[in-house]
Amino acid sequence: MRRPQKSCPFCETRVRFIDYKDDRTLGRFITDHGKILPARLSGTCARHQRQLATAVKRARFLALIPYTRGHTA
Amino acid sequence: MTEGRFAIMPRAYEAVYIFDSTLEDAAINEKLERFHSLLHIEGDINVDHWGRRQLAYSIGQKENGYYAIARFEADPAALPEYERALKLDDGLVRHLISLHEHEVGAPAMSEEEMAAAALRRDDDDDDED
Repeated sequence: MRRPQKSCPFCETRVRFIDYKDDRTLGRFITDHGKILPARLSGTCARHQRQLATAVKRARFLALIPYTRGHTA
Repeated sequence: MTEGRFAIMPRAYEAVYIFDSTLEDAAINEKLERFHSLLHIEGDINVDHWGRRQLAYSIGQKENGYYAIARFEADPAALPEYERALKLDDGLVRHLISLHEHEVGAPAMSEEEMAAAALRRDDDDDDED
């Protein structure tokens, strides 16, 4: 039996454009290793998932969120 | 051939600066003024100072940075010189300039909406047990 589709957390809070400076929200959409969480797990709609990817990449560049976590060089 | 037929439209930009955290606040403000003077904008620019903050990863040998975010409307032709000055400045660890033509984040929610959202979230949690 198909699991009910999760609703998009950004559509729910009526976010029109994801702010790349909001590292707290972005932190909820990256894995423990710092990778972007896939939409099938977070339930994000396609439009917001594209914005999320751009926002995460900008936040990484600005050192607001890490590129990778738990990596011992 | 008519010259300047098209009026140059200023565009909305947002610049995030990460300064070296060892710099004095006065030196940072002086640098910001110098950068923004290159944009030839009348009136003052809205600069949001986040202050000193730990970087998520070290940039060079620096573990901290001073974050400042500026929002302004500028003529696109003035940007190259402004960006050149940003790149040449040693005190500026990193910067990012992006177009800012959308209102980011979510509109403020009223109490009822927040209560409704919280209610919905509780329902979702029950499903997963």
